Amino acid sequence: MNYFELLTLAMPETILVIAALAVLAADLLVMREEPVRHRFVVAAAISCVGCCAGLFWMFNIEQHASVLNGMLVVDPLTRLMKAALLALTVFTVLVSVERDFTAHVGEYCALILLATIGMMFLVSSEELLMIFLSLELTSLSLYILAAFNKRELKSAEAALKYFLFGGTAAAFALYGLSLIYGLSGATNLREIAKALSGQALDPLLICAIVMTVIGFGFKVAAVPFHLWAPDAYQGAPTPSAAFIASGSKVASFFIFAKVMMLGFAGVEGSAVWRGMISGWVPAIALLAALSMIFGNLAAIAQKNVKRLLAYSAIAHAGYALLGVLTDNAQGVASLVYYVITYALTVLGAFGVVAVVEEFSGDSQFGNFAGLARRAPCLAFCMMIFMLSLAGIPPLAGFFGKFYLFAAAVGSESTNLGLLWLVILAVAMSAVSLYYYLQVLKQIYVAEAPASASTARPSLFTQGVVAVLAAAVVVLGCAPNLLLGRLLEAIKVAGLY
Amino acid sequence: MQDVLFYCFAALTILCGFMVVANPWSRNPVTSAMFLVLTIVSLAGLFTLLHAFFLAAVQVLVYAGAVMVLFLFVIMLLDLKEEARRKIRGFGMISGGIAVAAVFGIIFKTLVFDTPRLSAGLSAPNLEGVTKPLGETLFTRYLLPFEILSVLLLVAMVGVILLSKRDLR
Repeated sequence: MNYFELLTLAMPETILVIAALAVLAADLLVMREEPVRHRFVVAAAISCVGCCAGLFWMFNIEQHASVLNGMLVVDPLTRLMKAALLALTVFTVLVSVERDFTAHVGEYCALILLATIGMMFLVSSEELLMIFLSLELTSLSLYILAAFNKRELKSAEAALKYFLFGGTAAAFALYGLSLIYGLSGATNLREIAKALSGQALDPLLICAIVMTVIGFGFKVAAVPFHLWAPDAYQGAPTPSAAFIASGSKVASFFIFAKVMMLGFAGVEGSAVWRGMISGWVPAIALLAALSMIFGNLAAIAQKNVKRLLAYSAIAHAGYALLGVLTDNAQGVASLVYYVITYALTVLGAFGVVAVVEEFSGDSQFGNFAGLARRAPCLAFCMMIFMLSLAGIPPLAGFFGKFYLFAAAVGSESTNLGLLWLVILAVAMSAVSLYYYLQVLKQIYVAEAPASASTARPSLFTQGVVAVLAAAVVVLGCAPNLLLGRLLEAIKVAGLY
Repeated sequence: MQDVLFYCFAALTILCGFMVVANPWSRNPVTSAMFLVLTIVSLAGLFTLLHAFFLAAVQVLVYAGAVMVLFLFVIMLLDLKEEARRKIRGFGMISGGIAVAAVFGIIFKTLVFDTPRLSAGLSAPNLEGVTKPLGETLFTRYLLPFEILSVLLLVAMVGVILLSKRDLR
């Protein structure tokens, strides 16, 4: 392999790096004297063009390769993941364009692109060193994005909490990964599985597994590593929070599943009720159960929509972990479908929150009162997002949960053994309906206070949010658009 | 001989690292910084034992030299008298000690009572010696991580400038 082949394989990421540099240069050199609005539009336009160019390249040049000992894997599955990440990035940028939280718009768009580069490398790697580095690239960009609103003390607090928790979690992950390397002598996930297979669980391996799970558990905000999420979501500027909740979740869940399923293929153990065998599956089952219970119960008590979305994210992390511990092709497919549709939904919800915040200054429940009168289109979209999060058919959230639970119940190796987790998940989704409806009650039933602003949201933001809502409905009505492709891609990728 | 040196350097690294964050005699940040220099130098000793001479030299030149000077500048520019007066809290020491003891116990048990598991042939390339093999692997086998690191440094740079700059408004 020569350098040129490597460059063509990494072309989508390279295009994004160039786009990020172009955004910085355009903003700092050319657009310096212009008003912030214009600068934001130009920066967003360059970012979107970069993302679309990356997408265009990926779908026009079919490649299938694994180079540099698995550091860069290009196959239909990673291509699909990267396409989803790029789409989420485009929508994040579009949702941010009209917001007014910073004057440093060039740096904002550039950091979003750089974070996306980290996520793209993350999903297309099967090698520990690359996984850790791209995870750090993503995290570092997200910490800065959380601190972007320099007029608010809360934003700095959110970023600092996120950063301190994240740094500690990264240290744990690094310890875990280096122990794995010490035990197996390999950094490629498939080689690690080969080296570990047939060996009994010893304390060192358990340490390695637990530390790795802690590191990734932080990224996906699973209980008990969730403490940063509510503060970070609430304090960070809303578009940044949307990005933390959508794109980074998709990438982290995918790589979490990949490390566990590929790297620890020989030491699964079992989470069957009354028949637990130690390994990584019971560890994840514990995280999943705790996240579902705690996330949903804590969300009931929230009075702020951003905090509510944070706790609901914790609960959704619990559901999604079911897909990780199902440990077969159907599990991966349902997990990826679930996180992608979840990311689209939550991105739209944050888009609505951003508009409300702009008009009334905060995102407490009271600020949403009477939204249906002021902005019927946004209110309707919010209803779609909330009902999808709660899992009402025919929206995407329902089918996501349905496939996850079906995969968990039906995985042949456990023989209905995971039924206890699925029953818990179904019960907890019933609980979740309560707090999602609380938000809708404010929007549709409560009267707007007399002091409420009468400003109308711009047509552009309404359009972006409506497109996201339409995507949630379409993916719900025709899940095979994504799911069929996913199953095929997983087969080609040789994940199972 | 090598083993003895390894244990000396390893012990020195851990001891000095401990003194950086929890020096019982002095809470002066400059003392902490000086212990950090010692930590880095003993790490360089460990690199030398692995025959990574170039890394050892860079470790001393860059970290113990240039980076530490910057550290000291910052410490002396900021007024850190308050920090020097603070006492180490007992609870933190006890819980930290228990955690360290537990980790040590696990490692000790693994080392002594479990059958050793020798990894069959490390696939990593031979990095012994000077700059040439290091440069070669950095630009062939580890090219992609190397490039990502450069992007990561760009992110750090943009972030630092952005967060530390005072907004005009």
